[in-house]
Amino acid sequence: MAVARPKTLRQARSSYATNGELAWWIFMRLSGLALIFLVFGHIFMNNIQINVANVDYAYVANRFSKGWVKVYDSFLLGFAMLHGVNGLRYSVEDYFKNPKRRFWAKLILFSVAIILFVMGVMTLWAFTFEEMGNAIDALPHGN
Amino acid sequence: MYRGREGQWAFILHRVSGIALALYLLLHVLDISLVMYGPDGPFNAFLAFYHQWPFRIGLVAVMAGVVYHAFNGLRIIIMDFTEWGVKYQAVMWYGVLALTTIIGIPVLVKVIPEIVGRA
Repeated sequence: MAVARPKTLRQARSSYATNGELAWWIFMRLSGLALIFLVFGHIFMNNIQINVANVDYAYVANRFSKGWVKVYDSFLLGFAMLHGVNGLRYSVEDYFKNPKRRFWAKLILFSVAIILFVMGVMTLWAFTFEEMGNAIDALPHGN
Repeated sequence: MYRGREGQWAFILHRVSGIALALYLLLHVLDISLVMYGPDGPFNAFLAFYHQWPFRIGLVAVMAGVVYHAFNGLRIIIMDFTEWGVKYQAVMWYGVLALTTIIGIPVLVKVIPEIVGRA
């Protein structure tokens, strides 16, 4: 974020003084590798072994009552969200030329992603909205 | 008109499938999280809506996108981390398309009867 609009190679280089982008580059490959197994397994369990039209509340509640499903789906959620949202970020940076629009597009993207990630974690670890409300009410006040 | 070579098509398909999969992921996390409203909540009605045939066909497209994106991702990793990857990238792309088709056929055989209501 050093130079808003780098016009020379030197300015562009100084804008990316850290190795953050390199870390994301490596992460995309490692998480991609893990996601091949996680996503193929997920689709096999929920689309191939059963008719997906049979999925209903009872089916999902039964799955989320199993510890290994919570762990499996937590890895799936974490890797898929980071890999997917970072991929969308690459696309935003490729196609939104206007810095203002690019900023807002990324802000909306990250906000939506964070909200959905939190909802996903809450769902997996079996908090209902009601239980969350009660848990918040039960917190000692003044802390 | 310039129609591009294999690498360009590989990139475009990877980009389009990636954007589609990421947007589907966001929607999927949202719909599954509706189970938090409990058995009397909106979850069952929402899923019944999704089980209509246009969405089932959409789900087949999502699965196709997953398989292509996965194998083309492997192709990218091979190109990045081996000496010979870039030399064989075009051949590997045809391999990606072949693998996607080979995996896709049994999936279609399983899923199409479900969609047309014969299984």
